[in-house]
Amino acid sequence: MPPSSQAPIAPETGTFNDQDAREDVPANAVSAAPKKKEPPPESPDSIRQRIYVVLSFWAIIIIIGLPIWWKTTAIYRASLPLDQMMDWADGRACRPVFPLRISIEADTLQDHEAQHLLRTTQHALDDLNDFSAHHLRLELSPSNASTTATGLSTGGVENEELALVIRLLPGTTSKADLQSYAPVLDIYYTPNQVPSSSSSSSSLGNYIANTLRGMFAEEQAMIAYLLSTSSAPPERSPKALAPEVAESLAKWTTRSMKYSRTYHLTFSLFTPTATPSSWDIEAALEEHMKPLLESFASISNFTIDTQVQLYATPGVSGNILKKEDLSGFINAAEWPLSPSIGGAPTINFIIYVGDMEVEGGGKSWLIPQWGGVIIQSDISDLRPAMLIFSNQLMSLLGAPESGSLPLRLMTLVRVRSAGLLLKASGTMGSLARLTLALPSISIPRSVADGVYTTIEHLRKACDGLGGQEGLENARIAEEAAEKAFFEKSMVGQVYFPDEHKLAVYMPLLGPVGVPLVMTVFKEARAWRKRRRGSR
Amino acid sequence: MKLSSLLQLPLALAPLLAPVAAEHTSNWAVLVSTSRFWFNYRHLANVLSLYRTVKRLGIPDSQIILMLPDDMACNPRNAFPGTVYSNADRAVDLYGDNIEVDYRGYEVTVENFIRLLTDRVGEEMPRSKRLLTDDRSNILVYMTGHGGNEFLKFQDAEEISAFDLADAFEQMWEKKRYHEILFMIDTCQANTMYSKFYSPNIIATGSSEIDQSSYSHHADNDVGVAVIDRYTYYNLDFLETQVREPNSKKTLGDLFDSYDESKIHSHPGVRWDLFPGKEQGGRERLVMDFFGNVQNVEVDSVGNDTEWKEDLLALGKKISELRERAEAVEAAEKNTSVPDPSIMGTHTSRKIRAAKVAVDETWWGKKTVGAWALAGFSVVWFLGSYLESS
Repeated sequence: MPPSSQAPIAPETGTFNDQDAREDVPANAVSAAPKKKEPPPESPDSIRQRIYVVLSFWAIIIIIGLPIWWKTTAIYRASLPLDQMMDWADGRACRPVFPLRISIEADTLQDHEAQHLLRTTQHALDDLNDFSAHHLRLELSPSNASTTATGLSTGGVENEELALVIRLLPGTTSKADLQSYAPVLDIYYTPNQVPSSSSSSSSLGNYIANTLRGMFAEEQAMIAYLLSTSSAPPERSPKALAPEVAESLAKWTTRSMKYSRTYHLTFSLFTPTATPSSWDIEAALEEHMKPLLESFASISNFTIDTQVQLYATPGVSGNILKKEDLSGFINAAEWPLSPSIGGAPTINFIIYVGDMEVEGGGKSWLIPQWGGVIIQSDISDLRPAMLIFSNQLMSLLGAPESGSLPLRLMTLVRVRSAGLLLKASGTMGSLARLTLALPSISIPRSVADGVYTTIEHLRKACDGLGGQEGLENARIAEEAAEKAFFEKSMVGQVYFPDEHKLAVYMPLLGPVGVPLVMTVFKEARAWRKRRRGSR
Repeated sequence: MKLSSLLQLPLALAPLLAPVAAEHTSNWAVLVSTSRFWFNYRHLANVLSLYRTVKRLGIPDSQIILMLPDDMACNPRNAFPGTVYSNADRAVDLYGDNIEVDYRGYEVTVENFIRLLTDRVGEEMPRSKRLLTDDRSNILVYMTGHGGNEFLKFQDAEEISAFDLADAFEQMWEKKRYHEILFMIDTCQANTMYSKFYSPNIIATGSSEIDQSSYSHHADNDVGVAVIDRYTYYNLDFLETQVREPNSKKTLGDLFDSYDESKIHSHPGVRWDLFPGKEQGGRERLVMDFFGNVQNVEVDSVGNDTEWKEDLLALGKKISELRERAEAVEAAEKNTSVPDPSIMGTHTSRKIRAAKVAVDETWWGKKTVGAWALAGFSVVWFLGSYLESS
């Protein structure tokens, strides 16, 4: 062995010298005291064979054993776009903007008059608006758009993304009239309200602006509230809401169900005696409920079932029910109310046959995120009950309280899009934080795919907020995000203390590893000895 | 209509105001026994007593997840077949005829428990076996069994560690799956199980400190085994005698103050630090916030706003009529209609692409594994034959 390589490892050279000395003994001292008899020298053949045996053991371990061990114990963690996910969660990736297009039909006005009116009204609107995420954008409808006068039939189809159509009609007094079955607002004006082209503001413009603002105030507050409760950067959230408004909006979020593509409606009739044993619910649903549910089709679907339960006792007795006892009225232990069929959340509507009433005289109440109850002694006419249920349904689904039905539904579309967008973004953030917090949890590829799908659709939803397509994209994003977060294989015990690992590996590595390592040492030593000897 | 009239006021009228403290809208209970075998009768009785109590106080069966690893009622050694009692007086049959066990026998595993909490379950899992909570749900988690320092044994076969439980709660919090949690545990060294929690809005209580056993209360000589644990017994005692009606105003402070160490024979612990408002806020929480199902209902007014309610149904009808007419017109106009290349179209095309990628990937993965194995074996074979020949 060259001295240069031996120099830095002094102790080893020492031992080698000892060995060398011992080895030299039989060679030069034949007459010494009787020595232990040495085995005959090994033939080079058998030495080589032994080396091959050792090598083959090691080859198996390295070529087959290690990869198998690596493969079977590695935790697969697909790489996730963590930065993007956190951007979405923190509201940096998307600035939710709800542009509402409002078309003005002013066939009776001159073209330049209409233009001027539009400008001044828009100006007045912008002055009134202090929440930039939600703004109303006015536009003149094309002059040949008078076909809309025939009603919803053409206007509704062509201009689906229009939030509202304003029809300016000459009248004797100025008043606004919201059509109840189409998103059309008729505004009557007196001739002296028509702005002259020189004035910078007009009373008609202000009037329109104020009317519009009043109509969309609730929606604006809802969206502002949603954004303020999310983790959006503070400079973007709107100015603080008035306490009463904030309170009623908190109530609104408490009351309304979580969004779902499908809801299951259960209509139940509970009676304390054996009568009545049937009710005409099918006709009532067909007649009253179905048309209303159909108008929800773009937001949610509904499945319906009904039941009659006889001899049902409520959880609270007495003729006058106290308000705080009402949540105990539903006898949850005995009334079969939650069908565990299907995957859709259930909304319960209950008619209880009886003549008790709530203190104050009410006979129906709404249980937040659960359903509604009506106490009614006569069930021959179900129309009043259906009316109450339909209003409770609107509340439970989170529709605003004011406005005409089409407007409420359109508002619901926008509010739900915003809610879904925020929810999916929040899920992205949760998943990203979880990935970092639990380094030993496995992340299958399907999660990464889900994340990319979510982000793609979130982007689309963010660009198209305010319309039907925004809702559809937000819905897809939310579903994909939920699926990614709740991936079935991302589970199991993730915590293994080091003692556990030691306990697992010691029985394996002890008996197997020690002979393997020792033979390598022994062979290496013998090889060195032979080299020195042969030199 | 109140809201809309309020909104006519300028929005920015008020000073900065934090959102009103959110209330919970649903109550859930997860009741877990983790031990098998006849001599652990008392653990099953513990859980069933709690089950009966929360049901009595109004949590519906659909919102109670009951995990029973063994079936004492049908055990051949049970002298009273079909029943389970938690008291030697045998006044209340806990098994009864209206009990819904969600996870039974060998389904009670650590994995299933964590899956339940984190809702990482397959499509095939029925709704009744899932914890479908949201950010407005209060959850009572009660566990009993045989535990030790930072672990709880499941079925003599595996154990859940305090770390795993804490991580599971953190995952729930991340996904906004609870509003508040009351965690109760009755095992030996129970307080160590909640020592690792780090997620907010949890109140935790346990029966005994580290290195302390949790003892059974009394045995029923005819049943032949102990029928209830001390800690659970005195909790139930409080709930049965003090919280009689769903409108009870007893607080968690009252409940925890009722613990008498000379009776329980161990030191029950309470952990407040994760709760907003710490001990002060936690003590004021009503027992019914966790053991009952109380919501703030909204009574419909009897007033005269029937006229705007009136039109809702009629409106629905008219709108659907109008839509039908519009669709008819549209259909007539677009007889040669082309399918709309809208979201549905892109959706399906995306699906196809994803499926293709997946197929490709497994194919290559399999090939690589196969090639690797082949290469390994051939190396071994060559080595062997070479050694043989030399």
